[in-house]
Amino acid sequence: MLDAKKVIVCRCEDVTLYDVEKAIDEGLTDLELLKRKLRIGMGPCQGSGCLLLVASVLARKKRTPVSEVPLPVSRPPITPVQLKFFAGGKSG
Amino acid sequence: MAKRLIVVGAGVTGLMTAKFLVDRGFSDILVIDRKYPGSGGSFRCATGVRASFTSREHIKVMLRAIDLWPKLSKELGIKYSRDGYLWLLSRDRDVEFFREAVKFQNSLGVPTRLVTPEEVRELAPTINASSVVAAVYDPIAGKASCFDSVTNTLTHLLARGVEVKWGVEARKIAREGRGFVVETNIGSLRADSVLVAAGDGSRRLLETLGVDLPIRSLPKHALVTEAFRPVFKPLIIDWATSSYIVQLFNGNFYIGADIPEVYDTVAKVKLEFLRKAARVWTSYFPWLREVYVLRYWTGYYDMTPDHHPVIGPVEGLEGVYVAAGFSGHGFMMAPAVGEALASYILGERPLVPEFERLSPGRFARGELIKEIAVFG
Ligand SMILES: Cc1cc2nc3c(=O)[nH]c(=O)nc-3n(C[C@H](O)[C@H](O)[C@H](O)COP(=O)(O)OP(=O)(O)OC[C@H]3O[C@@H](n4cnc5c(N)ncnc54)[C@H](O)[C@@H]3O)c2cc1C
Repeated sequence: MLDAKKVIVCRCEDVTLYDVEKAIDEGLTDLELLKRKLRIGMGPCQGSGCLLLVASVLARKKRTPVSEVPLPVSRPPITPVQLKFFAGGKSG
Repeated sequence: MAKRLIVVGAGVTGLMTAKFLVDRGFSDILVIDRKYPGSGGSFRCATGVRASFTSREHIKVMLRAIDLWPKLSKELGIKYSRDGYLWLLSRDRDVEFFREAVKFQNSLGVPTRLVTPEEVRELAPTINASSVVAAVYDPIAGKASCFDSVTNTLTHLLARGVEVKWGVEARKIAREGRGFVVETNIGSLRADSVLVAAGDGSRRLLETLGVDLPIRSLPKHALVTEAFRPVFKPLIIDWATSSYIVQLFNGNFYIGADIPEVYDTVAKVKLEFLRKAARVWTSYFPWLREVYVLRYWTGYYDMTPDHHPVIGPVEGLEGVYVAAGFSGHGFMMAPAVGEALASYILGERPLVPEFERLSPGRFARGELIKEIAVFG
């Protein structure tokens, strides 16, 4: 048996499979809520690594197809941009 | 089966009200949300908490909320800290205005004070304060995690048998016998009483009951950067440009800035916001130039003509309660608002008498309140 406390689902924020399953059991049965509770998808990778993984855990727990789990909206910018890009002018 | 109470809106206001009710033994509550809990203003906000306002009503309500935040923090595991607010002033006339505001706040027990640019440098290490002539510091202000406030209150409610359903939109409320029927996309729901805590959806829903409240939605913009170790503690406001920055618990910098917007229009992402946010805050903190923006989103302030929320029983419609029109301050006051609404729903008067001045009927009676310290 896998130890859910040792399976990392989100590397940016160090979230384990156990954390995800516990939150779902408490009633946070929505990726948007899991994102805020566990910070999944809010690190530098912006969810590219973990969101689908968490979606499949949620689908298994809710006994629904993964395709029926709504995904969180993506916020701009698609890739991180430095503030100087918008500030203009010289550094300093 | 009719519920005892339906709460429309699972933002921080609706959830906190349900919490104060269940904790006092009032059960049989259904909370509904058209999207998901927190999806309105609650998950978008800057998480700032302060009592440094310029009206007695806001100050008294917020002093109660500031008493409650540490208790909720302990009980529900909501991150909260009194890291202060710092208002940067760069014009002499602003200093004169704030001198009066501070006097008023002090007279009501809010310990704000004017500070020098040297003190600003201590309170906000690494700041370039060359344009600052003075500042106001509020040591009892702070921040609370809006994510914890929604998710932890939600699980608290679910564990106590409160029903919370999302993806359920209230389209019409009508009287039926002694109670009410709420028409939704999943059918008719019945309850003895209804609380409308639906943020920017409140006005339209109340219109179906013939109640017209002057609440308008104003688009707002915010961004967060990547996370760093703690750099400075207070939420910092640049008064002249109506913008602010705060380092969140997780280390990300959250920036809001005011750009021209039109009431009741759809909020859209605008380059103009990014330009202003970047210009103002990279000149105060030059190292921010190298920092990456991770996310940018919009939201709404639900504004009333006097910038005060509408809270309490709807006069002439027994069993209907409202809590909306927070004008950009609904997160910080949610604990006090939840407590007051629970009192009203239990047939009592609110602990803080100033709540009674926020009643929906004040517009018809022409009893508007003055509050000027709105920013961002
Ligand atoms: C950028 C920004 C920064 C802010 N910063 C701060 C701050 O620092 N401090 C502070 O105190 N406040 C701040 N605010 C304001 C704060 O976010 C709101 O006042 C607060 O979240 C209001 O909470 P609420 O529960 O009343 O409303 P909301 O959180 O908006 O919740 C209302 C809920 O009702 C649901 N709903 C609407 N219509 C219907 C319907 N017909 N049927 C079913 N459900 C419906 C929505 O989906 C929503 O989830 C900020 C707001 C923004 C946009």
